[in-house]
Amino acid sequence: MNISLSKQNNKKEKQLDTTSKDSRKSCILELKDVTKRFDGLIAVENASLVFSKGKITGLIGPNGAGKTTLFNLITGFLKPDTGTICFNNYTIDGLPPWRIAQLGIGKLFQDVRIFHKLTVLENVLLARKEQPGEKPFISLFRRRRAIDVEKMNIDEARNWIKFVELGEREDSLAEDLSYGQQKLLVIARLLAGGFEVLLLDEPTAGVNPRMIKSVLDVIKRMAQAGKTLVVIEHNMSVIAEISDWVYFMDDGKVITFGKPQEILEDPEVRKAYLGV
Amino acid sequence: MNYVLHLLIMICIYSILSLSLNLLVGYTGLLSLCHAAFYGIGAYVSALLMTKLGLNFFLALPVSVIISMLLSLLVAYPSLRFKGDYFILTALSFQIIIFSVLHNCAGFTGGPYGIPGIPKPHLFGFEFNSLPLFLLLSVILASLVFFVIYRISSSPFGRVLKAIREDELATLALGKKVAGFKIQAFMISGGIAAIAGGLYAGYITYIDPTSFTLDESIFILAIILVGGSGNIKGPIVGTVFMIILPEILKFLGIPDTIAPNVRQMIYGALLVLMMFIRQQGIAGEYKFE
Repeated sequence: MNISLSKQNNKKEKQLDTTSKDSRKSCILELKDVTKRFDGLIAVENASLVFSKGKITGLIGPNGAGKTTLFNLITGFLKPDTGTICFNNYTIDGLPPWRIAQLGIGKLFQDVRIFHKLTVLENVLLARKEQPGEKPFISLFRRRRAIDVEKMNIDEARNWIKFVELGEREDSLAEDLSYGQQKLLVIARLLAGGFEVLLLDEPTAGVNPRMIKSVLDVIKRMAQAGKTLVVIEHNMSVIAEISDWVYFMDDGKVITFGKPQEILEDPEVRKAYLGV
Repeated sequence: MNYVLHLLIMICIYSILSLSLNLLVGYTGLLSLCHAAFYGIGAYVSALLMTKLGLNFFLALPVSVIISMLLSLLVAYPSLRFKGDYFILTALSFQIIIFSVLHNCAGFTGGPYGIPGIPKPHLFGFEFNSLPLFLLLSVILASLVFFVIYRISSSPFGRVLKAIREDELATLALGKKVAGFKIQAFMISGGIAAIAGGLYAGYITYIDPTSFTLDESIFILAIILVGGSGNIKGPIVGTVFMIILPEILKFLGIPDTIAPNVRQMIYGALLVLMMFIRQQGIAGEYKFE
């Protein structure tokens, strides 16, 4: 059923691109009763979540609660067993990951996943969507066009590199950056991709305290720019500082949700999370 | 003098092979062990078209390129499913299948006797029948291939291939259809290898399956591992090195009976040595891990 829906979707993609600009609906991404099992283990069970435009939604819960699985379901790396995932009012579950990314959902992996042997600039350039030069035929025989677009893409990529304050490292290999800088690089890559929805899996984990501030600044500025952000985070002070709305998950289920202050003081959350 | 010209022609042929293989190995990170199969497909298709249908070399060559591109899909599609070691085995089996076909379809390919009497290339009554003229043709074709590979690999297309090599999942998450890119890389690589095959057939004027064995695939891969992968210099440096090295050994006065074995030993030792001291090859930028 889901697959046939998403096939219909494929045909409507063009429509979707135009309608998404007009639709100013606050709910941009919605999961309805999503379940995912791995050989008897239920990773996500009947999860229903709604993410609003221009807001930062926190996703918290102990290890193994199903948060990362949820991200993988949204981005198409996993297919839900049951339930639907809607993006801009279209069903996206069942679509391949590259298609979902093209539609506008980007993800920051927990383990950054930079392209080590490519420069900072190349890393960011790869995220640009319109690249005629990615067709070998065009880069061989219609070079003018490829070069013109490439110049625009380079300008755009440089802006985002400056935005995350990596301007001076543009030509360094990505592997030569510090871990915190690599996280910033991946954020620049997401921004250059023009994704509407950004899923950030532990953006501050392993980042030194001084760098955390830069990362959080960038995250807040993205929300102000109208992006929809979903952040998985174990650092409760970070959640309290940046998020507008919080979902608490445990054992694959959404246990409770609400404003960050309410959730962080919820006795059930404190018990499951902190053991108090 | 003729000896030097012969070496230069072989350097041209192997440059075409290593440059095209580098697109898969160095850029896309696919350790392909079946490049000699495409080399063989190019040689046999051109030779058959020239001897059986009397087609001109310059018509037979593009046809062989197209056929090789299509046959490359037979490895490309499995490669989307199989990763790492499993892909190496897939490519290996393709290599063995193609060799067996060349070796056993005697009615069509001449079997172990091969195809003799392949005409030298000629264009508008002008025949490339002497070594200097054939070298000229080889240099022109090799330069053309160099130019095409350079343009493709330095384009955004080449950048995506490198990204796939570095991290396939992250490339998918950026909205790149990884499968499509891999298939294109295979087709370009297989198609260009066929040019080397056609050139070889037109040069030697006789081909048999023993020129397109697994050993040959390993040799082409060794060129890249020694010379370096992931950029355009590596394969050229590797080709010159690997073609010239055995010729230098000839002057050491090793008896002919053991010379080929000594050569294999030196290649082996060289590969082990490179893995220890310089994994990215002499002029490469990508290390296999």
